[in-house]
Amino acid sequence: MIKIEEVTKKYPGMERPAVDKLSLNIEEGEICVFVGPSGCGKTTTLKMINLIIEPSGGKIFVNGENILEQNANELRKKIGYVIQKTGLFPHYSVFDNIAVVPNLLGWEEERVEKRVVELLKMMNLDPDENRNKFPKALSGGQSQRVGVARAMAADPPVMLMDEPFGAVDPITRNQLQNEFLKLQQKVKKTICFVTHDIDEAIKMGDKIAILDQGKLVQYDTPENILFNPANEFVEEFVGSDRSLKVLNLLRVTTVMRKNIKRIKEKAGIDEINKYFSHPEKNRILIENDENHVVGYLAKEEYHKISTAKGWNKAIRIFPTSLNKHNTLKDAMSDMLQHNIAALPVMDEEDKFMGIVSFRDIQSYIGEAYEENENEKELDENEVL
Amino acid sequence: MTELRRVFNYFTNNLDRISGYMLEHLILIVIAIALSIGLWVSLGILVRSNKKAADSVLGLGSLIMAIPSVAIYGILVSIPGLGLSRQSAVIALVLYSMLPILRNVYVSLNEVDKSILEAAKGMGMSDRQILRKVQLPLALPVILAGVRVATVMMVGIGTLAVYIGERNLGVLIEQGLKRSRSDMIIVGAILVTVFVVVIDFFIGWLESAAVSEGIKSDEGSKAGGEN
Repeated sequence: MIKIEEVTKKYPGMERPAVDKLSLNIEEGEICVFVGPSGCGKTTTLKMINLIIEPSGGKIFVNGENILEQNANELRKKIGYVIQKTGLFPHYSVFDNIAVVPNLLGWEEERVEKRVVELLKMMNLDPDENRNKFPKALSGGQSQRVGVARAMAADPPVMLMDEPFGAVDPITRNQLQNEFLKLQQKVKKTICFVTHDIDEAIKMGDKIAILDQGKLVQYDTPENILFNPANEFVEEFVGSDRSLKVLNLLRVTTVMRKNIKRIKEKAGIDEINKYFSHPEKNRILIENDENHVVGYLAKEEYHKISTAKGWNKAIRIFPTSLNKHNTLKDAMSDMLQHNIAALPVMDEEDKFMGIVSFRDIQSYIGEAYEENENEKELDENEVL
Repeated sequence: MTELRRVFNYFTNNLDRISGYMLEHLILIVIAIALSIGLWVSLGILVRSNKKAADSVLGLGSLIMAIPSVAIYGILVSIPGLGLSRQSAVIALVLYSMLPILRNVYVSLNEVDKSILEAAKGMGMSDRQILRKVQLPLALPVILAGVRVATVMMVGIGTLAVYIGERNLGVLIEQGLKRSRSDMIIVGAILVTVFVVVIDFFIGWLESAAVSEGIKSDEGSKAGGEN
């Protein structure tokens, strides 16, 4: 959808180009995040896509057409543009702000009205309450929502977002990010997103382009950036806690074990004894007649209580459960908090899907890194 | 008490003459301010993104401001084709309004937040659309403040145009001085003041009608408060 070919931007009087022969492809419907330290050329690259900055060399294709051969103003009407400071027109109402591009395109009044109301709803802003407000009456989060709505007004296939959530507080930022990701699943825009925050990049990006000194250092999925950083710079940039960041990225379903042996609550002692006679089996899931997992049984507790009347008393209930949208970080957090080494994953109807264990997470992440680490580090792992 | 009565008597006895002066004064000011706005706002727009040009025209404006008004009138009437005429008076007033209007236009257009301009550009607005729909509306309160200052100044300097043939409120002051008639001077001064207050009020009304609610409480009142 967006194809950047050997694009260079050199400012007069500067020794090295701000952007240096950068090439990358952004697939339709994907969010590509440009990330890097200040001065890496990420914003410059973004602004060349809508010709706010003119490239000194190279080609940029949007939807197969070379943008340098197009009228800049006509091009920009087809590309949504969101900036950090929102750039809302203070003298325009919320409605008029969102209606800017549709009005430039000469839409009929009715169509504009319908679209603006639709967008306000999409952005979780009550149309009646907000349409006549002026930007000064909006909170930071609301302003940013209006900014995104304005960029999407004429339904452009491509959107450029320059640190769109950079100027709001962390709680609002998180909320806006989540809302936007949810929205993106519906609208499937092709998005270029600039941030200096690697966590935001990992969260928002389908692909991440890491830039340094005007050059593309690595362009890959967030997983690969974290598991397989191209060089020391990337490694440093993603941070020494990158394995923790992986936890935030991966869903519990990636390490979940599905076909786990379960025993009915009404099962006889023989069945359990037989299971626990195996020296490696220490835990067993217990389910009721409706196949709902009710808890688990630990071998040592079972042996302590087996002389008494019912073994069911030794069943421990899971303190909490996970759903399939939870990340490994959520899982780890719950496990640490409840001092438990494994948790069940339940679906929407509270039916058992599988189980996630601390050890599985550990080995999954460990193996993923092992593939990429050098031998020396491998040895260290073995010792530990 | 008797002085006040004399002022009052002079005013009531010469109502016809005085209203004639007022009308003449008003006509002069309206012509001059209309021309000034047209001329200096356009010039301000032209030089808005050229600092060098802006600096030189603003310098010229300051220079004109420094010349005593009587001297300007004198210079203008000596120009063939102008002479003792309304043209000379209008030109003098237009020249005096150069600095306050031009400066406010230039400064306010350049003070529009860069992120707003970038957003406007990014949405595909042409330079002309950005000027008309974004920059000028946002600059309007400050531009109007400049117009206000210029107008108030014109009312005052306009009285001196009686020396080049205008028959406006300045006549009362000039004649009063010549004849040591304090009642005439006081009537003239009061009416000039009333004139200024009315014009100030009118521009204030214009501002509240033309400036968007979205920018009113902050820039609007601040710029207006400069007077």
